[in-house]
Amino acid sequence: MTIPGSWYLVVAALLFGLGAFGVLTRRNVIVMFMSLELMLNAVNLTFVSYARMLNDVGGQVDVFFVLVVAAAEVVVGLGIIVAIFRQRATVTADDISSLKG
Amino acid sequence: MAQYLPIVIMLVLGGVFAAGSFIGSGLLAPKRPHRAKLAPYECGIVPRSEPPERFPVRFFLVAMIFIIFDIEIIFLYPFAAAAGELGTFGVIEVAGFALVVFIAFAYLVANGALSWGPSRKQSYRVVEERLASKVPTGVRGE
Amino acid sequence: MIFANVLSQLPIALPAISYKAVAPELVLFGGALLILLVSATVGKRELPGLYRAIALVAALAEGGFSGYQLYLAQGAKASLAVAGAIAYDGFSAFAGIVVAAILLLAILIGPGFIKRIAGDGPEFLVLMLISAMGATVMAQGEDLIVIFIGLEILSIALYVMVGYRIGDGLAREAAFKYFILGGFSSAIFLYGIALVYGATGTTNLAKIGAFLALNVLTHDGVLLFGLALLLLGFGFKVSAVPFHLWSPDVYQGAPTSVTGYMAAMAKVGAFAALIRVFDIAFAGQIVQWRPIVVGLAILSMVFGALFALRQRELKKILAYSSINHAGFILLGVYAGTAAAISNTLFYLIAYAVIVVGTFGLVSIVQDSIGVSEGSCSLDQLRGLARSRPALATVTAIMVLAQAGAPFTTGFLAKFSIIVSVVEIREYWVAVVAMLSAAIAVAFYLRIVLAMFRGEPEEVEGERVLAIQGAATEAPARRQALAWIGVSLSLVFTVGFGIFPQPLLDLAARAHIVG
Repeated sequence: MTIPGSWYLVVAALLFGLGAFGVLTRRNVIVMFMSLELMLNAVNLTFVSYARMLNDVGGQVDVFFVLVVAAAEVVVGLGIIVAIFRQRATVTADDISSLKG
Repeated sequence: MAQYLPIVIMLVLGGVFAAGSFIGSGLLAPKRPHRAKLAPYECGIVPRSEPPERFPVRFFLVAMIFIIFDIEIIFLYPFAAAAGELGTFGVIEVAGFALVVFIAFAYLVANGALSWGPSRKQSYRVVEERLASKVPTGVRGE
Repeated sequence: MIFANVLSQLPIALPAISYKAVAPELVLFGGALLILLVSATVGKRELPGLYRAIALVAALAEGGFSGYQLYLAQGAKASLAVAGAIAYDGFSAFAGIVVAAILLLAILIGPGFIKRIAGDGPEFLVLMLISAMGATVMAQGEDLIVIFIGLEILSIALYVMVGYRIGDGLAREAAFKYFILGGFSSAIFLYGIALVYGATGTTNLAKIGAFLALNVLTHDGVLLFGLALLLLGFGFKVSAVPFHLWSPDVYQGAPTSVTGYMAAMAKVGAFAALIRVFDIAFAGQIVQWRPIVVGLAILSMVFGALFALRQRELKKILAYSSINHAGFILLGVYAGTAAAISNTLFYLIAYAVIVVGTFGLVSIVQDSIGVSEGSCSLDQLRGLARSRPALATVTAIMVLAQAGAPFTTGFLAKFSIIVSVVEIREYWVAVVAMLSAAIAVAFYLRIVLAMFRGEPEEVEGERVLAIQGAATEAPARRQALAWIGVSLSLVFTVGFGIFPQPLLDLAARAHIVG
């Protein structure tokens, strides 16, 4: 039983959409942040399934780089969130809205 | 596929046991709910909001330092898989990579990221400097 | 399993690393590491003079290497290095020179003001050097993944720099907004890369170009969707309307000297990559992406200028002005001819120098009238020409240069972009561009008029002077280097505005050969 590659792509697209939806609609800073990571990992899934479909190692190597970039974003993002948390004791995005475009 | 059967059976048994325990205790235990018993604390003032969870920033810093090495391993693993074929070139490149990570680590240690508690003189000095330079501790670890 | 395939094809072809090609990145990164190492080993965190000297040397060396590459390139085809992942040609070399110029000015202007916020630690200069390296990687990237890594190196360092005023609510908010929206756009950009990879089987720009030239895709939906996502990601990074919502807040919340640096550096990196990806690799798809780019350009130019009119906060006005500039630079990408790309490079260097200088002046103004870095409304500028005539005059010149006043590089930049658009016979676009430039003049003039016309009220004047008196113990020292940086950018802007030929020749030599 083999699953066609396009199914993985559809799952990845759905995950990416979920992540994007989460970033745009959720109010909790940590959850927004997790949604961001979900988007990046959906891209990883896309890369890996294309690598499998094209029988090309390039896509798998790209995933390494994306993982590293995601980790670097985690470090900086959590740093910023911790800084907000220490000053405000809240992690809700509605509370951080004194700047209005 | 057949060799996976024992694992599947174990998983099912584990699931049944866990579910059974919960359902069993739910059915057998006596239930006499009361407002005070449902509150987080049974005595004292009724809390109006969730208590803020405090956690020391130290843990955060250590977790971040862990990520540095975690990332290093991501790249070392493929290198190790092909180390023989890559030869001297690979060793030099990886040594350069490790050096870069090490310098970042040296910076963290020098800034007191690994000095736990105020027992040593070093950390006092760091704290004093921090106060003098007014840099919040949290922004240090990036 | 696929790894096993690779391992079975022994011996592995080792990439030859051309250190000549990546020298600009190596110097910047080496400088950053050296500063970290010194700060870790000397046992004293604050050595501002030494750090600044190392950073300046690194910036100058980067400029030197880029200049040498430009001299070598001279209209030849792009040389590929590091297994085809890095290109070095006149285009990337010129972008490297722009990066060096921004760094040089920002190192002179920034640290003195950052010291007030966060002390003299090594971090600020390290972040600056590393983000500059990200911009050069973007300019040299010949592989979409390399461009993505450059983008992230640039962006992540900037997220931290934007959050430097962590004690201030506005700044924290700006840092968080920038981080979440920046991460969001990076993820979208990356998904675009994945789709392009799926459609063409490679992320290498040269190979993509070759593949698309040889094959006709029967179902090009994936490729086009990927291209659209790439454009979306770039649009966020250069803050083109309608993806501009983060930029006014971030520009206001960030420390002023960081704002100037960010506005310049992020645009140089993003536009260099944008040109290489769209005008070269996807030149065959120009029919598909051109309408989107021109749409973004026109929206940015018009709405950037209109939104700026209703703002009273100096840094927000300048944020909308930079959106307006982004629209103009996008027009250069839209035209896409060799001459247009040279003109875009000219616009980039002119804009970068002006914007770093302008925000440096805003720093000095904020320092002099004693307001925090987060706020400076037009009302607070009233009477500046009376209390600080030299400062007001220089600021007026730089602001007018942004507006495109004659005898400045700003004028030539806008003019040459419009000429490029006229050359491809899109007259209505050129007319819209000129109209938006005319609207933009209005809000630039408002800044100038606020400084020169308004009389400070007596009481307020005394209050301002009192604050000035309290603050003047140290400012002379921290402003001295900033004044050198600002003067350099002023000399550059006016000097090349009057005698532009050397710079135009340099930009013409830098055009990209696909």
